[in-house]
Amino acid sequence: MADEKESSESMIADVQKRITDAFDIFDHESNKTVDVREVGTIVRSLGCCPSEAELHDMLEEIEEEEPTGYIRFEKFLAMMTHVLMERRYKPSPEDIILKALMTLDVEHKGHLTQEEITKYMTTEGEPFTPEEMEEMLSAAVDPDKGVVLYKDYASAMALEET
Amino acid sequence: MGCGPSKSGESDMGKSEKLMKAALLIQKWYRRYSARLEARRISAWKIYQSIEYAGEQDQLKLYNFFNNMLAFLPPDQNSNQHLSSVITARFTAGAVTRTESEQELLKHTDYTTIRVTSSYKGPRLTFPLSRYQLTTLVEGFKRGKTLHARFLLELLHNTRQLLKTKANVNVVNLNITKQLTICGDLHGKIDDLFTIFYKNGLPGPDNPYIFNGDFVDRGNHSVEVAALLFACLLLFPNDVHINRGNHEDSVMNMRYGFMKEVLNKYKDHGTKVFTLFEEVFSWLPLATMIDKKIFVVHGGISDNTTLFSLETLDRHKYISVLKPPYQIEGGNSEANDSGKPKMSEIIEWKQVLDILWSDPKTQLGCSPNSFRGGGCYFGADVTDKFLRSNNLKLIIRSHECKRDGYEYTHYKQVLTIFSASNYYEEGSNKGAYIKLGQDHKPEFVQYMTTKASRGRNISIRQRVGIIEASAIRNLKERIFASGLELKQEFQKFDPENTGRLHVMDWCCAMENVLHMELPWRTLREKLVDVDADGKVIVTTMFDFCQIHCNFTTAQEGPSLTETLYRNKDSLGTIFRIIDKDNSGSISMQEFEDACDILSRHIGHEISKEQVVDLARCLDINKDGQIDFNEFLEAFRLVDQRPRTDEELVSLSLTSMSDKEADLLSRSSGSTVNII
Repeated sequence: MADEKESSESMIADVQKRITDAFDIFDHESNKTVDVREVGTIVRSLGCCPSEAELHDMLEEIEEEEPTGYIRFEKFLAMMTHVLMERRYKPSPEDIILKALMTLDVEHKGHLTQEEITKYMTTEGEPFTPEEMEEMLSAAVDPDKGVVLYKDYASAMALEET
Repeated sequence: MGCGPSKSGESDMGKSEKLMKAALLIQKWYRRYSARLEARRISAWKIYQSIEYAGEQDQLKLYNFFNNMLAFLPPDQNSNQHLSSVITARFTAGAVTRTESEQELLKHTDYTTIRVTSSYKGPRLTFPLSRYQLTTLVEGFKRGKTLHARFLLELLHNTRQLLKTKANVNVVNLNITKQLTICGDLHGKIDDLFTIFYKNGLPGPDNPYIFNGDFVDRGNHSVEVAALLFACLLLFPNDVHINRGNHEDSVMNMRYGFMKEVLNKYKDHGTKVFTLFEEVFSWLPLATMIDKKIFVVHGGISDNTTLFSLETLDRHKYISVLKPPYQIEGGNSEANDSGKPKMSEIIEWKQVLDILWSDPKTQLGCSPNSFRGGGCYFGADVTDKFLRSNNLKLIIRSHECKRDGYEYTHYKQVLTIFSASNYYEEGSNKGAYIKLGQDHKPEFVQYMTTKASRGRNISIRQRVGIIEASAIRNLKERIFASGLELKQEFQKFDPENTGRLHVMDWCCAMENVLHMELPWRTLREKLVDVDADGKVIVTTMFDFCQIHCNFTTAQEGPSLTETLYRNKDSLGTIFRIIDKDNSGSISMQEFEDACDILSRHIGHEISKEQVVDLARCLDINKDGQIDFNEFLEAFRLVDQRPRTDEELVSLSLTSMSDKEADLLSRSSGSTVNII
């Protein structure tokens, strides 16, 4: 039992250290605060995959009563520790992503045109900004064929993660 | 709700919901991926900044060390006397207080006797300059020509004459000029200047510009950038305004590449050119005031900055802002000057130092800028007080590289503008310039200059990979150079010498030794391996590469090589200071002196026998002279592991830029060194 307790304590310490490091990366002025607009990026850089709506909820928990535009470290740490320990907002595995991409390919062509993927990503779900769309296209579009070979894209991205 | 074909209606609804869910899933997944890239990019960025400022800090430490040496060495010891005279000779050659007369300066930098042969195919200038000549200058530089020493010297003389007529603080009135362009640091990156001129047009009466300092050092075309700016200034003296930066300073130039570039490009005339540049820099105005509302200065302010003082001081006496303007006791043969500085002199000197070196920070108040080693950190309260008491609305400054080329801070009362894109590495940051109209609302134009040959469309992922690989490589160099110290620190956490450390202890040790404030835990996986228990395996940090030096002798231990490698930049600066005639060669005695000075500076014994041995070995021609540039370039960090794809791309980009660099300028020591 003592071992278990020790290992869970050290796990928490580990998790908290990871959160601290991730927070520090975005703490541009080294004063233990980050811009509220970067919280989403920090949460995701820690491996979580929340939707914008879920992020919004998280922010409500940790924002000050009078929103200052900044989030303080203590509040972020407390919330994020729970999120990571409870393994909330886990990312979907590669095959699920592939299925999602296939769903967008309504004509079952085996690939998606730039227009198609742009249409879906910028009008459905939680739409991309033009910058996000451009970034995604720059990596997703096969330079020779001019379309998104989503099978290759999904596996390339999955490989990145390791 | 009508009762249409219900079955297909349902499946339509189901289908569109499926699409929405699929889209959402992909968006979430992509945003996570993107966030991780962003975190990696910022980490790489922090590494670069850390390394850059560590270099500057070291330079200032070295400089303070020299000052102290001159002021405090007991004169009776033989060796001290000798070293002191070596350094004094160099520092007073430039005449700290410019007691040298005008005629003497003109004689030393005379160009009229320099012949231009018909074999010279570069731009030719006659004075006064014409617009046509400016365009031939631009064209010539675009084609990679070097301006002949004769024309450059004449250009510099004319520039000096003009600058002498200018006040310390330039004045711009937007009611007259209607609009204005403000550029930040260029650091010898002529491609960025070409981009700016291409997008925004050459300067002219309806196209005024302010250049906010730091146009030399680091990049490979500092001479050309400076020449172009000065040519514009001569052509349009009322429409081009140049502020001095902290790199328009001979002491900085000795370390950061401008001096080397000048000496390489101009060989025999190098000393003349460099001396005249030094003189011209000291005449550059310190700031520009727009409509009495916007203050443009290179670094920033301190809580002591007084406009009246800035406007009235004699800026010319600060040849190098790092050299106090007063005489150092025993350092000069001028017997009538007393050695002790007056308080007023120090206060004034600090004013100039502060406006060229300071950085804005979130912390309130004003504190010494320890990161850089000079100037101060000033908070929003200092800015606010300064703006209020002078009835101003904005400070525009440069001095710090920003990812987007510009950045507001202090509740939009301070605006940083930085014009050198890809400053740390290909893809590291955009450059930008400000367009300012009569409404005083800054607008920004951003760009990222890539050479045509490298213009291939690379994705964000690849770009981050390249930046990261390069940053890590640079970081590893620094780690490696501090090997001995790190090993000693690790021992404190590992008294039984198991060679294993807890990750937390390892992070602690790294920060204790390197002082770089980096996210060590996140970087760990790129720097060192862990064992099955998750503990750091110390040897894996150092066994990946070796310092390779072409000149190792049998007796020389690894520690001498490591010490010299680690302090390569300081050693280079010391060499350049000792090399009075700027020939690139020093005698064996001078080489030993340099190593002696270095050992005192770092507070660490360097074995005299080993140095003498090395000196003999370096004197290949047996003519008693050592080519120190060759010596410094002989040190390279040789990576023994197989390279990742990203590292290969990054290295190929670096070596491409070297090839494209001026044929006459030699590349710096290791190809991975960006400092």
